Amino acid sequence: MSMTNDAVNTETQKANIGVMQARSAANLNAPRIAINKVDFFYGTNKALKGICLDLPEKQVTGMIGPSGCGKSTLLRVLNRMYDLYPGQHAEGEVMMDGENIISPGVDLNQLRSRIGMVFQKPTPFPMSIYDNIAFGVKLHEKLSKSAMDERVEWSLTRAALWGEVKDRLTASAMGLSGGQQQRLCIARTIATRPEVILFDEPTSALDPISTLKIEELIDELKRDFTIAIVTHNMQQAARCADQVAFFYIGELVEVGTATQMFTSPREKRTQEYITGRFG
Amino acid sequence: MSATLTASAPSRNQSVANNLSRARHRTNTIVKGLCILATVIGLMFLGTILFTLIDLGFGGLSTKVFTNITRSGPDGGLANAIVGTLIQTALGTAIGTPIGLMVGTYLSEYSAGSRLGNAVRFVSDVLLSAPSILIGLFVYQILVAGRGYTGIAGGVALAIIVIPIVVRTTEDMLRLIPTALREAAVALGAPKWKSIVQVCYPAALDGIATGVLLAIARVAGETAPLLFTSFGNSYMSTDLGSAMASLPLAIYQFAGQPDADLVQLAWVGALLITFGVLALNIVARVVLRPRS
Amino acid sequence: MSQSTAVAPRRARSSATTGDAIFAFLAKSAGVLVLVLLGAIIVSLFIGALPAFRAFGFGFLWNVDWDPNQAIFGAAVPIYGTILTSVVAIVIAVPIAFGIAFYLTELAPNWFRRPVGTAVELLAAVPSIIYGMWGLLVIAPFMATYIQPAVIDTFDGIPLLDVLFQGPARGKGVFTAALILAVMIIPFIAATMRDVFMTVPPVYKESAYGVGCTTWEVMRSIVIPYTRVSVVGGIMLALGRALGETMAVTFVIGNANRISPNLFGSGATIASLVALNFGEAQQGSLLLSSLLAIGFILFVISFIVLAISRTLLKPRAAK
Repeated sequence: MSMTNDAVNTETQKANIGVMQARSAANLNAPRIAINKVDFFYGTNKALKGICLDLPEKQVTGMIGPSGCGKSTLLRVLNRMYDLYPGQHAEGEVMMDGENIISPGVDLNQLRSRIGMVFQKPTPFPMSIYDNIAFGVKLHEKLSKSAMDERVEWSLTRAALWGEVKDRLTASAMGLSGGQQQRLCIARTIATRPEVILFDEPTSALDPISTLKIEELIDELKRDFTIAIVTHNMQQAARCADQVAFFYIGELVEVGTATQMFTSPREKRTQEYITGRFG
Repeated sequence: MSATLTASAPSRNQSVANNLSRARHRTNTIVKGLCILATVIGLMFLGTILFTLIDLGFGGLSTKVFTNITRSGPDGGLANAIVGTLIQTALGTAIGTPIGLMVGTYLSEYSAGSRLGNAVRFVSDVLLSAPSILIGLFVYQILVAGRGYTGIAGGVALAIIVIPIVVRTTEDMLRLIPTALREAAVALGAPKWKSIVQVCYPAALDGIATGVLLAIARVAGETAPLLFTSFGNSYMSTDLGSAMASLPLAIYQFAGQPDADLVQLAWVGALLITFGVLALNIVARVVLRPRS
Repeated sequence: MSQSTAVAPRRARSSATTGDAIFAFLAKSAGVLVLVLLGAIIVSLFIGALPAFRAFGFGFLWNVDWDPNQAIFGAAVPIYGTILTSVVAIVIAVPIAFGIAFYLTELAPNWFRRPVGTAVELLAAVPSIIYGMWGLLVIAPFMATYIQPAVIDTFDGIPLLDVLFQGPARGKGVFTAALILAVMIIPFIAATMRDVFMTVPPVYKESAYGVGCTTWEVMRSIVIPYTRVSVVGGIMLALGRALGETMAVTFVIGNANRISPNLFGSGATIASLVALNFGEAQQGSLLLSSLLAIGFILFVISFIVLAISRTLLKPRAAK
């Protein structure tokens, strides 16, 4: 990155931080999920080292750090996505409602209905818009046709997509634009009424306008849901997150409120990263 | 040092370069010409075959081909052979497709580099190119010997040919599906089998359908595996428990006969089977492929 | 909300895990079935062949007799015929297939590639019985009238060639069978070659063009060396198909039980011999057992060839 860009970025950051301070940094709520000394292994390669982090209830936790630092890995620990792949395993404790969700006895399908996830690229299923939403709901509930209609409308409304698609619910979801597809995926996730939603770089494949819509949505969704978002984009973390965690090579370097992290980071590495000196 | 090098660098002999270049371009032109010739020859074969089929088969095409059964003389038709081919092809596809689909699913979704998975993939690939006459001999040994020729045996032999074709396309198509789509289904709390059946299969549907169509096209024209299984039948029979006629077998039996009527029937049968098979191929390639 | 979700998932849990277990079991069973199928083919052919192997021992492999009247059978002639027709077919097919593949990947204008590619693939889809019939009724008479007399006259008196191509010009015979086989396998080889040529990263080709190579030089010194192993694998795959091809050969090989270097003479392959003799073979006869025995030998030969081909084409390794 060139010097000029650096300078511009830092300027934007300062501006954002200013906005945030004006919004007044809120105190953090009680944890909904408590991560305690979690190690993660790809085979024998240790990708996470002793992570301890609380996700405050009905607030947004932003996870930042350079590529390969383990932030996405941690997200995939929370909904046990790593269970799909032999050779990957986690150790430690992730407590939710008094239960360690990474212990072997946990029912994964039930866990994943409580902890939803939105992916980097939109992942519409090859079916109609309506069926995309109904797919997840049907997995966990038996609803009448009218109740299902209601749920589809509710979740699409919450995802700020209802107005755009209400006349073509039976059309294929593949025909939507990238931004619409991503909001559909958010609608699909909230339709199962999870308690926690994980966002894995949800806007990295989108244009700026769609990105803004998603960010507004996240801000709106935190009234009901506990949210964790992995992002490469420091401004996004500053705009969306209440709490920010900085990861570096498998370690959690520093965690604090967004205001504190972007104005007065305690660690030198954090400071270097958020001012764009590496990563 | 670099100065010394530049100074001593040999200057290019332009006339040598020109001669070389001329020779090189001549070779290039000759090779290109030969390649075009080879392509023309290849296309000519297809053209000649199709032309011969139309030339010799089209004249014999009439309604009696579809209403009368195979017999010598001007009244002969192919009704029993057409019905037999439809039944046995349908049976083979109906048996082979679900098995092939499950094997392909196993290879793509479950085997993940396991020894068993690699062995299954290897064996399936070998079966894909194994001589079809041996499939016929095998089915003869297990279903026909001592019991008699049956349409079921014919269908089973064709199914064994269908399986590896469907396995291959299913596995290839499922592998093309982005991991994120599977993860998205799983992240909603879907059990693995539901994410495969309700998300991956629809996403791979075009490709899998292409594979099934190509498999149908392949077995509809198979002759060797039917010789020792359904054997052929001069009469109309839809009984799966007895010998059954089929177009390829009728062609096989009539083409070498010193009987102009039967040879004519063979040409008509060849025309029907070839254009049926080519039509299936074109549907599979042109209509289904581009969408996926 | 939390109450309603607390009850429902418990049922979902057991049905989800049993559903997964059943589906995984079905998928794995289907996979195992494929292995069982191959095993069953080998075992059933071998059991059927046992009486013949017992009666003739290893001599079966090199005995040139095939005499149903005296019930003496040997596999040497059909093995020779099978290998000879397939090898001649490969020799004819490879240059043409290479030309087509080269044309399709490097020479043809873009809009022309798809139709020509499709035409070549259609040639591969034509059922083998059609090739056989076409060979019998069109190519064999054509060979007998035009090609063979001229070739026989031209090569008369030239050492080696006059042995390979001798009269009489009957149309049917080893060479015609090989020619039909070649037409059949050209599209297979061409399609495989095209696919492997396309795997060469463009940057290699571009750097060769960059130093001034002609199209042919790029093909010869970049594309072919880069894809050599796969190309050989593709040829082996076609050879595997040619070895066991029945219908295209049976019609035109002439069906004579003899070993002769004359390519215009009649011969027999394993597949043609099985197809033509099966009708007369009584249940439990030594003839039937001998047919199954040569079938078993064909299986072994094609399995080896196909296995080599698969290894060279590199198994589509699991990701």
